[in-house]
Amino acid sequence: MAKKGWDEFEIGAMLRTFDGKIDNIAGTRQEDRSYSENSSYMASVADWRLIKPVFNKDYCIDCQFCWIYCPDVSIISRDKKLIGVDMDHCKGCGICVEVCPTNPKSLLMFPEQADEETEIASWPKKDEEEA
Amino acid sequence: MSEMKKIKNLKEFSTSADRFEGANLLCPGCAHSIIVREVLNATNDDLVLAASTGCLEVCTAVYPYTSWDASWIHIGFENSSTAVAGAESMYNALKTKGRLKQPDRNPKFVAFGGDGASYDIGFQWISGCMERNHNMMYIVLDNEVYANTGGQRSSSTPIGSSATTSPAGSISYGEKMNKKDMLGIMAAHNIPYAAQVAPNKWKDMVKKIQKGFATQGAVFINAVSPCTTEWKFDPKDTMHITDLATDSLVFPLYEIIEGKEFNITYRPKNVVPVEEYLAAQGRFKHLFRDEYKYLIKEWQERVDANWSYLQRREEAKV
Repeated sequence: MAKKGWDEFEIGAMLRTFDGKIDNIAGTRQEDRSYSENSSYMASVADWRLIKPVFNKDYCIDCQFCWIYCPDVSIISRDKKLIGVDMDHCKGCGICVEVCPTNPKSLLMFPEQADEETEIASWPKKDEEEA
Repeated sequence: MSEMKKIKNLKEFSTSADRFEGANLLCPGCAHSIIVREVLNATNDDLVLAASTGCLEVCTAVYPYTSWDASWIHIGFENSSTAVAGAESMYNALKTKGRLKQPDRNPKFVAFGGDGASYDIGFQWISGCMERNHNMMYIVLDNEVYANTGGQRSSSTPIGSSATTSPAGSISYGEKMNKKDMLGIMAAHNIPYAAQVAPNKWKDMVKKIQKGFATQGAVFINAVSPCTTEWKFDPKDTMHITDLATDSLVFPLYEIIEGKEFNITYRPKNVVPVEEYLAAQGRFKHLFRDEYKYLIKEWQERVDANWSYLQRREEAKV
């Protein structure tokens, strides 16, 4: 589509989400679909982000609160387990950190340029006052 | 295919394959997409969707991209309801004539609209769809303002809120009119199901949406959708603001069946003072000035009166 000139579109052209055949969309995971380049899944909004969530799986209890409340479908959850954050589509709003119920939180916001491994190594300890 | 999806807990719910894609252009922390995801994941059936002009439409269909993995249409500001009603009528006609290739797939027909598109501009069209009792669901993403065009007041904007066409200042305290009771009006069409939902109570919401999908006939859903840009709060606080809205009873969660049977579906354990809800948002900041403080008291009285009215209604079963 992008290869065509401005006047070469078909009149009333439909924007297809998928290229290949998908039988059961409701049961097919996003990474298993064959997207056409017209799906916003193929785009990225990573440059919107000033702070990024870092996921520390040591404290995660797989409650899935972050999955349900993520506005950008960026929390990747497979087989009832939280796997990580989709950094191409995360806009860095921080809702996942706010709704995380563990102590200390298993998701925290850090500046975009922060190194993930360093931050996980120096993860805050359990907050005794709240416990 | 048309069996109701079983969702017992959040872990089970999280195995859903989302049909709404990321990299849509909604603001960070927008509640619209949280609501849309909860609705779309509540069923495994095929979906026929429409969206009225508004944030949801302009942000999910920016040419050449689309964020929807389902049949989706946008026509005008006012007629997402009639577009879906038309599709539903066509589907029924083709089914009767036996011209459908897969007649047993039972798609669900859903229209989305903002509060501007529903409370003001598309009001007559929605009313028509509800009156004709099409087998469809209309969902209002109620952010109480025309957020897409820069924050003009709509008939959903509550008293005291500062909007760009009803700004607060030394002379005015902002919006002067009370919020329209849209759910009451729609329930008065005696439609099979009408309900108010909030994204933070996901279980209540999914239950109501599934009930709506299982209902034969028109369904009207009003969903509170805090707007980080126009309500003026930090994007990370979206769920906190929604919690305050439901727990302060500014947005009570209830359902009306056949316009008669009235059920309150969520009773907060600790009712939060309305003042806390107002204080959390920048659009009500001016109410905390001395000359406008009486409005907070009026707010509390109005919310209390409404809550006791709803409880009386539930008790009397009318």
